[in-house]
Amino acid sequence: MLKRMLATVAALAIGSGTAFAHVSLQLKEAPVGSTYRAIFQVPHGCEGKPTNVVRVQIPEGVIAVKPQPKAGWTLEKIKGAYAKSYDYHGTPTSEGVKEIVWSGGSLGDDEYDEFVLRVYLTKDLKAGETLHFPVVQECPDGMAERWIEIPAEGQSADDLELPAPGVKLLEAAGGH
Amino acid sequence: MREHLGRSCIRVFLTGILWCCLIVAAMAHAALTGAVPADGAVVETPPKSLSLSFSEPVSPLVLRLILPDGQARTLGTFVLRDRVLEIAPPDDLGAGTHVLVWRVVSEDGHPVAGSTVFSIGAPGNVPPVAEGSVDWPVRIALWVARVVSYAGLFFGIGGLFAVRWLIPGGADGLRVIRAATLLGAVATILSLGFQGLDALGAPLSALADRAVWQAGLATRFGLTVMALLAAFCLAFVAPSRAGFAGRAASLVSLVVGSGALALSGHASSAAPQWLMQPAVLVHAITIEVWIGALLPLAYALRRGGDAGRQALGRFSRLIPVCVAVLTVAGLLLAVVQVQQFGALFSTAYGNVLLVKLALLAVLFALVALNRWVFTRSAVRGDRGAARRLGRAIIVETMIVLAIFAVAAAWRFTPPPRALALVAAQPVSTHIHSDKAMAEITLTPGRSGPVQVSAVILSPDFTPLTPKDVTFVFSNPEAGIEPMRRRAVLQADGTWRAVDVVIPLAGQWRVRLDVLISDFELVRLQETVEIAP
Repeated sequence: MLKRMLATVAALAIGSGTAFAHVSLQLKEAPVGSTYRAIFQVPHGCEGKPTNVVRVQIPEGVIAVKPQPKAGWTLEKIKGAYAKSYDYHGTPTSEGVKEIVWSGGSLGDDEYDEFVLRVYLTKDLKAGETLHFPVVQECPDGMAERWIEIPAEGQSADDLELPAPGVKLLEAAGGH
Repeated sequence: MREHLGRSCIRVFLTGILWCCLIVAAMAHAALTGAVPADGAVVETPPKSLSLSFSEPVSPLVLRLILPDGQARTLGTFVLRDRVLEIAPPDDLGAGTHVLVWRVVSEDGHPVAGSTVFSIGAPGNVPPVAEGSVDWPVRIALWVARVVSYAGLFFGIGGLFAVRWLIPGGADGLRVIRAATLLGAVATILSLGFQGLDALGAPLSALADRAVWQAGLATRFGLTVMALLAAFCLAFVAPSRAGFAGRAASLVSLVVGSGALALSGHASSAAPQWLMQPAVLVHAITIEVWIGALLPLAYALRRGGDAGRQALGRFSRLIPVCVAVLTVAGLLLAVVQVQQFGALFSTAYGNVLLVKLALLAVLFALVALNRWVFTRSAVRGDRGAARRLGRAIIVETMIVLAIFAVAAAWRFTPPPRALALVAAQPVSTHIHSDKAMAEITLTPGRSGPVQVSAVILSPDFTPLTPKDVTFVFSNPEAGIEPMRRRAVLQADGTWRAVDVVIPLAGQWRVRLDVLISDFELVRLQETVEIAP
């Protein structure tokens, strides 16, 4: 009995480090072959600490990335080659922004903010699937919250502890 | 009264037998502590050598490799280095999943078996291996043979000793004593074959096989059988020569027979051996003197007159001393073997001890009744009391047989001491995924504070240095939510977490969260069994 109680206390004491509110995308659906405003909602920092850096990884098939500058934050665009060449309104595009970093700011744990990108969802992306943007929140003392898990086949984002924010891809709008 | 007592004795005896049949625990002393390739491992090229590490020195009995097509190869080339068995695999191993089936004998003479699985190239279907099931006919045969051996040793050899040294008036019982000796000898010879069957995992039908008997002889139990047989032979030829030679022979046979029990078995292999082996010897000798005297005493009482009175007088003077020594030696053995009071209830070994103690309590109560109620009047010459005493001795004999039956069940239950030893061994598990693989080790593999370490490699066996590693332990069955511990990279390349306490025994989920890069997290999960 005592052993069981001790176990429960230990489990409670140790197991309460998990965060509950995730970074998410405000617009949950978007058609492929269109421009998408990716609005990342950041609801809190890392276990009481403020967020100083927000990093977003751009998934393959997402091009023409333009971040919206934010007052008090330094923007960094990390560029690189894509896995293949994508068609951007008739222009072949084989390289571009692969990661966006907002740094130098301070978003308190009890504050809320949004970080915005404008991107183009190429037609190479599959409608019906969910596109994930892994996000890392960095805080002082090397602490970090990583919203980087992508559900495997048969899994849903609810099964994951640290789900990456996602957008459901719809069929391309007709007549474009 | 007698009817009633007799019936309850039979019931106790039958319950004992039934109970023994229900024991399924097939674990024994030596436990596998590691294997190369590790259990469940996937290796790129056929391994040049296979190795098995055990918690105790062992010697191999059967080593077989089951190939992916289900074909079995016997592995005959191996080197034994203390606790590590290095085995040369066949040269022509192909791709697919292989099962290394092993059967070894540990120091106490009891065989242990198991298997480890590894795959070459990629895992395939696991070939079918017939193992793990208890061969009941062999087990029951072993048990019966052991009970009869005990009866032969204690009633036969012990009886002869009693007639020659203590109760010459009980010589009428010599025919029964000789029969018991003969039966014991036959059962002892047969038990060698059964031991061989158990050692090789062979069915009862293979009893005629020469290899089976050789295997039985090769275990520590072989020594016990040889010594017991010598004692039985001596006892069997001795009765024809009364006088000094007969007395000397019965004494030697008594000591050799007891010594035989100290040569193998759980108790004799326990540390400290200088204490445990003599304790087994003393325990056995005192049982022989006491139990052996029962039959001659019954015969002497039946004859009545001076012979009976004299016998009873000697018996009641000597036996209390004998029982006291027996109890001290028995307690010593029990304390070393059981270690913790709780193990009496939580382990099969402890349960057997409890049943034995319960039977002993009944026996002692009866002995006390005889000693203080019947004996006094019988010594005074009350014929009725002497007859009642004679009957009570028969009931005592039945209880003693039941105790033998229960004690023989210990052959199949590892003592808590050995279980604790196994529990102190580390538990490790190998997890393989397409992004990373890990070997996780928990030391010791039982509840309480543990040291957790992991070696992380990329799937192609090249080193992998993750940015961050976290251990997550949970036990959903016990309602324990995930507990996380960040691991720290050590100089030797392993990741280690401190301050980990596994609060309960049971099936624990161990997860390793490996942050390969800022945006890539791999979770590796496996279940491990944590001992109490």
